[in-house]
Amino acid sequence: MAQLGSGALIVAFALALYGIVVSVIGARRHATELVNSGLRAVWGVTALIIVAVAALATAFLTHNFQLAYVAGRSSRDMPLHYVLAAFYGGQEGSLLYWSMIAGIISSIAIFLHRKRDRDLIPYVAATVLSTELFFLFMLVFISSPFTLLPVAPLDGAGLNPLLRDPGMMMHPPFLLGGFASFTVPFGFAMSAMITGRLGDGWIRAIRRWALVAWGILGIGLLLGAWWAYHVLGWGGYWGWDPVENVALLPWLVATAFIHSIIVQERRGMLKVWNMSLIVGGYILAVFATFTVRSGLIQSVHTFATSSIGTYFLSYLAIVIVVSIGLLAYRVKGLRAERAIESVISRESGFLLNNLLFTALAFAIFWGTIFPLFSEVFGSTKLTVGPPFYNQVAGPIMLALLILMGVGPLLAWRHTSWRPLLRGMRWSLLAAAAALVIFGVVLRDALPVVALGAVVFTVGTIIAEYVRGARVRHRSIGESYFTAIPSLLRKNNRRYGGYIVHLAMAVLAIGIIGTHFFQTERQFTMKPGDSATISNYTITYNGLRDTTTKEGDVVAALLDVSQNGKLKTQIQSKRFFYTGYENQPTARMGIKTVGLNDVYVVLDRWENDQTASIRVYINPLANWIWWGGYVFVLGLFTLLWPAARPERQRVRSTVKKAALSEA
Amino acid sequence: MTGTVATSPAGAKRAPWLNPKLIVVAVVIFAAIAYLIYNAVESSAASYFVTVGELQAKAATMDGQHVQVGGDVQPGSIVKGNPGDPISFVLTDGTKTMPVSYSGVLPDIFSDKVQVVVEGTYHANGTFAATTLLTKCPSKFSAATTTSG
Repeated sequence: MAQLGSGALIVAFALALYGIVVSVIGARRHATELVNSGLRAVWGVTALIIVAVAALATAFLTHNFQLAYVAGRSSRDMPLHYVLAAFYGGQEGSLLYWSMIAGIISSIAIFLHRKRDRDLIPYVAATVLSTELFFLFMLVFISSPFTLLPVAPLDGAGLNPLLRDPGMMMHPPFLLGGFASFTVPFGFAMSAMITGRLGDGWIRAIRRWALVAWGILGIGLLLGAWWAYHVLGWGGYWGWDPVENVALLPWLVATAFIHSIIVQERRGMLKVWNMSLIVGGYILAVFATFTVRSGLIQSVHTFATSSIGTYFLSYLAIVIVVSIGLLAYRVKGLRAERAIESVISRESGFLLNNLLFTALAFAIFWGTIFPLFSEVFGSTKLTVGPPFYNQVAGPIMLALLILMGVGPLLAWRHTSWRPLLRGMRWSLLAAAAALVIFGVVLRDALPVVALGAVVFTVGTIIAEYVRGARVRHRSIGESYFTAIPSLLRKNNRRYGGYIVHLAMAVLAIGIIGTHFFQTERQFTMKPGDSATISNYTITYNGLRDTTTKEGDVVAALLDVSQNGKLKTQIQSKRFFYTGYENQPTARMGIKTVGLNDVYVVLDRWENDQTASIRVYINPLANWIWWGGYVFVLGLFTLLWPAARPERQRVRSTVKKAALSEA
Repeated sequence: MTGTVATSPAGAKRAPWLNPKLIVVAVVIFAAIAYLIYNAVESSAASYFVTVGELQAKAATMDGQHVQVGGDVQPGSIVKGNPGDPISFVLTDGTKTMPVSYSGVLPDIFSDKVQVVVEGTYHANGTFAATTLLTKCPSKFSAATTTSG
C-alpha cells in the first residue's frame, strides 16, 4: 500500500510538471492538442492523488502500522469512523486531503468551463497544476504520509481523545476543503491576468467558484465553532485562538470579494481591488493551511523547528511576487470604466462593506501576528487576547450589521435621502420599538443597540421580500404565496443573498446572547445536593461508571429544574480512553431549556462521589446553529443554476423592467 | 438583470475614479479603525508573554502586571486536593520554577510535562494565582503524549 501511495504521488508530481509545460506552450502556440493534454493532466493528477488517498485510507482500515502516520494516529480499538477521521488528523494526511480536494474541485471547474472559457482555460490548468505541484513536492519530499517504520508496532497510538468526537468527522474536511477550493478562483484570476482577457468572461466563472470556496469554508468555520462548544468545555464556541483567526481571514476576504465583484459586473469598477482580494484570499487560505499545522504563531522559535514552514513561506512569497507583478503589468486593462458618482449609492455601500470586511480581517491578522512583531522588534513578547478582538471586532461587526440593512435599499449611481428613508421606515420603526422594549427589559446599552440593529436588518430583508412579491403580484397577478419561491428562482442571487444576510442576523442574535448574558458557576456537591444558577436548580444525583470498547466512562447525573418543575436531566461525562488514561476527556452535558443552554462540565470527584461541577448558562446559544442552517439554505439558493430568461406574457416594457428589478 | 445600468455617454470626460467625498469617508473609517486597534492594545487587552526565567529576571518591573507565563508542568508537582479546591503545581522553563495555583476546570490534557500558558496578575513574591490556564492545544493533532509499545 505504501509503495502504491508514494508511487502515485511521484507520478502525479511528474505529470503536474508536464501539464504546466504543455498548457503554457499550447496556449502560446494555439495548439489545441497540447491544451487538451494539459487539461487531461489536471484530471490525471487528481486521479493519481485519489489513488494515494485510497492507499492511505486502506492502510488505516487494515491497521497497517508499518506506516508511521497510521501508527501515530490510530489503534485497533478505535471505532471505524474515527479510524477514517484519523486520516486528516495529522500534517501529512491533511496536506494530502487538501491536494485531493483542490484537484477534484479544479477538475470539475475545468470540465465545466473547458468550452465556454476556452481562452482562459489553459492558464487556469497551469495555475491549478502549479498549486498541486507545490503540495505534491511537500508530500513526496518533505512530509510524506507513506514513511515506513523500521519495525511495525503491534498497535497504534490511537487518536488523541480530544479529536474523538463526531465534530472531527465534519469540521476538518470542510475547513481544509474550503481552503483548497480557493485554488479555482485563484486559477481564473491568474489566467485572466496572464492572458489579458480581463473582460466579463472570467468574472462570471470566478464569482461562482469564489462562492463555492466561501460557502465550504463558512460551513467549516461553523462546524469548528460547534465542535469547540461540544468538546473543549470552556462554555464557548469561539476563543480568538490564532488557529481560529487565520481560518477566519480567507473567509472575511472572500466575503468582501463576493460583494465587490457585483460592482465590477454591474458598473465596471474596482477591478484591481477585486483581483487583489481573490489573490489575497488564496494566499490567506494557504497561509491558514500551514499555520494550523506548523505552530508559527505561538512563537518564532517554534517556527524555526517546523519543517514545512520555510517551504510554505517561500511558496507564498513566490505567489505574492508573481501576482503583484501581473497586477502591475495589467493595471491599464483593469482601469475602472466609471467613477462612483455619489456617496449615497449602491457602489459606495459595497465599497464601505469592503472597507469594513478588510479592516476586520486586518485587525484580526494584526492581533494574531502581534506577538511575532513584538518579539522581533521589542524586548518582551506582547500578546493580545479575546478582549482585544472583542473591542475591535465588535464595533466593526455592528457597523456591518447595520449596513446589511441599509445596503439593499441603495440604488446604483445615486440615491436620494427621501426614498431611502421611505424604504427604511418600517424597519426603523421596528428597530426603535426593539430599542425601547429591550432597553426596559435588559438595561444594558451594548446588547440593546446590537439587538436593535438585528431587528432593523431583519426588517429590511422582510420588506424587500414583500416589495418583490408585490411587484410580481401587481404585474403578472401571481399570488403572494407563490411569489416568494418565484423570486428565489428568478433572481436567486439577490434573494438568496438576503437569506445569507438573514442567517448572519440569526447568528448575531446567538452571539449577542452568549457574549453578553452568559453566567458561569462552579459547585462542589455531594449526591443529593442542589444548587442554583440563574433561575435553574441543579440537583446532583451521583456518579455512574460504565465501560465501553474505547475505555471507561464516568458520568455525573444531574436534574435541572425551574420553579420546582423538573425540566431535563443531564449527564456530564469523562472518558478514560485506552492509552490515554491520564487524560480524562470531558464530554459535556448540554441541554436546551427554553431559550438557554444548560452546559455542565464534570471537573473532578472523590471516591465518596463528591464532585466539582462547572455550570454555564448560555442564553440563545441555539440561534448560532440555526443561523448555520439558514446559511446553508442561502448558500444552496445562491449556487442553484440560474433560471433561463423567463418567457412570459408581459404586456409592457415598463412591467418587464419592474420584474427584472424585483 | 443587465440593461438596467446606464452606460456612460461616449466621449464623456473621464471622471477621477474616486469621488473626493468618498476618500474623506474612507479616511474617517480608517482613522476610526486604527483608533479601535490602538485603543484595544493600550487597554488591558494586551499582556506580556514571558517564560518563568524572563519573569523572574524582570520581577521588579513586572510586579503587579497582567502577564501570560508559558512553561512546562514540573512532573510530580500537581496537587489536586479535594474537588472544588484550587489546583497547585510548579511551572518550569527547565531551570527556573514558579508555584502556580488555579481554581477553574482543568483542560483535558493537563498533566505532568504538558506545556501550559497561565494568565494572571504577577506578584513578585508568592504563588502565581492564574485566572486562566491553557494547555497547548494539540493543534498538531499528533499523539506525541503517549509512547506506544
